[in-house]
Amino acid sequence: MNRTLPEVDSLQAEQDARVVVALSGVTYTYEGESAPVLRDIALTVTSGEFVLILGPSGCGKSTFLYLLNGSVPHILNGALEGAATICGKSVAETKVAEFATDVGMVFQDPEAQIINTRVRDEVCFGLENLCRPVNEIVARQTEALRLVGLTEFGDRSIFELSGGEKQRVSIAAVLAARPRLLVLDEPTANLDPAGMAEIFAVLERLNREHGTTIIMVEHRVDELADKVSRVVMMDRGAIVFDGAPRAAFSSRRVVHSEEAVVVPTASWFPQVSEFAIDLAAASRCDLPVDQVPLSVDEAFALASNWSMPAEAAAAQNKPQPDERQQGTPLLSIKSLSFGYDRNTPILRGVDLEIQSNAIVALLGRNGSGKTTLARMLVGINSAPAGSIKLEGRDISRLSAREIASEIGYVFQNPDHQFVTDRVDEEVAYSLKVRDFGQEEIAARVDEVLEIVDLHRYRARSPYNLSLGERRRLSVATMLVLQPRVLVLDEPTIGQDHERAQLLMGLMDRLRKRYGTTILMITHDVRLVAEWADRALVLRSGRIAFDGRPIDLFADDGLLSSTGLLAPPIHELSRRLAAQDPARGLRPVLSSGDLVSELAASRAMAMK
Amino acid sequence: MTRGNVFQFRAGKSVFHRLDPMSKLIWLLGVSLLAFGAYIAWIQIVISFVILATALFLARLSPAEILKGTWPFIAACSSFFVIQSVTLPGSTIAFRVFSISIYAESADYALASSLRIYTIILSSMVFVRTTDPRDLAIALVTQAHIPYRIAYAFFIALRIVPTIEEEIKIIRAAHAVRGVARQRSITGRIGEMQRYVIPLLVGSLRRASMMVMSMEGRAFGAYPQRVFVDAPRMRASGLVISISTIVAVVAWYSALGLGYVHPIYVFAPA
Repeated sequence: MNRTLPEVDSLQAEQDARVVVALSGVTYTYEGESAPVLRDIALTVTSGEFVLILGPSGCGKSTFLYLLNGSVPHILNGALEGAATICGKSVAETKVAEFATDVGMVFQDPEAQIINTRVRDEVCFGLENLCRPVNEIVARQTEALRLVGLTEFGDRSIFELSGGEKQRVSIAAVLAARPRLLVLDEPTANLDPAGMAEIFAVLERLNREHGTTIIMVEHRVDELADKVSRVVMMDRGAIVFDGAPRAAFSSRRVVHSEEAVVVPTASWFPQVSEFAIDLAAASRCDLPVDQVPLSVDEAFALASNWSMPAEAAAAQNKPQPDERQQGTPLLSIKSLSFGYDRNTPILRGVDLEIQSNAIVALLGRNGSGKTTLARMLVGINSAPAGSIKLEGRDISRLSAREIASEIGYVFQNPDHQFVTDRVDEEVAYSLKVRDFGQEEIAARVDEVLEIVDLHRYRARSPYNLSLGERRRLSVATMLVLQPRVLVLDEPTIGQDHERAQLLMGLMDRLRKRYGTTILMITHDVRLVAEWADRALVLRSGRIAFDGRPIDLFADDGLLSSTGLLAPPIHELSRRLAAQDPARGLRPVLSSGDLVSELAASRAMAMK
Repeated sequence: MTRGNVFQFRAGKSVFHRLDPMSKLIWLLGVSLLAFGAYIAWIQIVISFVILATALFLARLSPAEILKGTWPFIAACSSFFVIQSVTLPGSTIAFRVFSISIYAESADYALASSLRIYTIILSSMVFVRTTDPRDLAIALVTQAHIPYRIAYAFFIALRIVPTIEEEIKIIRAAHAVRGVARQRSITGRIGEMQRYVIPLLVGSLRRASMMVMSMEGRAFGAYPQRVFVDAPRMRASGLVISISTIVAVVAWYSALGLGYVHPIYVFAPA
């Protein structure tokens, strides 16, 4: 069909109007830095797309997002090269405030971005700055709160809200200005699984029903993969993949971490896609891109119709039952109740025993008492006499230093724990204050730095290390005392899955080497499924579950009441097992185990 | 979850919570002026009781909260009272303690001075506990005509204080776990604070930069003026309190100036 020139111009204008983000040859270097953090970025995003940005920590994802509303380069100063146009405005020539009606930016930590103390005030804040008429502001505030499902929350204090609710307020606060583009930087990083599900449901509704364009950085891909329309992968400041989610999760690639270590992209694949790749590999065939599952439903359909060749099934190893040795009793907690005041108890009659040589996960909603309980173990909060015993010794009678020698605590933010200016002095500090001899100190510091792979940085300042290295150093400062128990407070927050895996690998080595018990406070059910021997779930200050992770994930009622979600692979294996009980499939917690189960079932059927 | 700071706003429905911030600010300034101007013990006692009643009934603070928030000041004021009573000269011996004469004039003056400090602390606590910093900032813009950027800077500073306090607690706990003992001496405390500076600075800078991006991303500062949907307004109750306070202050200082006060000063030094 031949078009006239005006028709072509009109089509071009229409197409241009649909372009929300147009980046070409964008390179950005922070002020005072020599290496660019963004390199030659070219990307076009059109109206209605839902783009997921993936990449290892430190690859420039957040900087990329800050570029989308002009925070880079106008607030976070630096040198911007190339052409960057957002909603038709040149980033270099447009102030951040002028993007307020085009781009809504939501950050990782709702505490850091919420300005006001009441929900309604926060949602009105942007429109008040834009000097809109009061009637319009009130109407848009009502609309924004309705969009995020918080219609009745206008008069509530921000301090009364859960993490998920706060993050929904943050989204409403930017939606009130009706931006064309919503940009989110790991908005669920601090949330429990229930809070995360709330946010993802809101985003899906905004994108599907209201056509809002969304660009988002997020590590929790399992629940998001089937909601996004496009995946962009970054490596060292550059885009290395840009395409549909099925294509993104169809084959394994490698990128580089902040420390220039090779990281497999599969570490942030949805578990169901990983399973499909494993299944195809075990079947010795290729997995067509259009068959890569993005949800449990799709994976269930794939596995139900998949026929593994007999010889391939026979070659698979049957999953081995875990025969880990039961350790000796280490910590005993009896009738432990605690509250900062009588009217608001945080822990109510907690009873439990923890053995040596175990990885124990402590789960529960935000505010359920997890951190309080863990802090009582190390004496940060004083335990009532006789309520916590460490190998028979009452913890309330031990000094802080005595407790710290036996129970280490790795805080969420490693920077909080550093007290010296050098890596090796940092590790040596705990030994020096306990009057260890020089030779002993030197030997232990060397050993521990070797274990955490930081020996080459021993003369550096702790603050000059990357986040992953700082976290390893904070672990090292605890390890050097060879504690019997090591408590990890939210080891995965702000970290990609690969980095969390590396940390847990280190924990596993410690357990094997020293018999250390690891108690990790976490919301990450995938981490629990992969690493924990035992799961403890707190609900309103009481132990609601104490047992194997696989038993926890089988209890739907408990999961629902404690705001937890089962890992997708468990859900999938459970559905497959229920589909045909005669196949003898069992629910499992890893992709490899499920492939082995399917192979064993196939081999049995062949006999 | 940790304990909240007693010198921090908490939402409520008391009479004082419902008052606009400017009326409360006028009340606070008025009470402070009255407390400074009243040098007679029985008048200070009356003022203190009025403020205590205000805290209990109009601001709905519990006795336990008041005690928790002001006990260090009660201790300091008590010490101040004892030292002044013992050391100040006088002529009328009220009583003797271990052969030390306590004069009525010095005790009267000491009591007035001590209660003055406590009254100001307690009234400040009532103000802070019942006034949302945001409402105060808006009142400063809409009623006192202070530029909104300055008022918001003040509000953000107040808003961020509890976060920094919380972070200091976490750092202190993290250092205790490392085996760092808490210091008791002043130099030790200074050294302790020096160790907190870097992590605190790193955290505060990160938070401040997020807050700036969050505010500017929502057009803060785009225009010289801004709209306030919910600006607090002075209502009849606020007007009554403001006028009563101003009248009381003017009356007291006029009475002082005109010499009507001194005749009722029973224990006036000779």
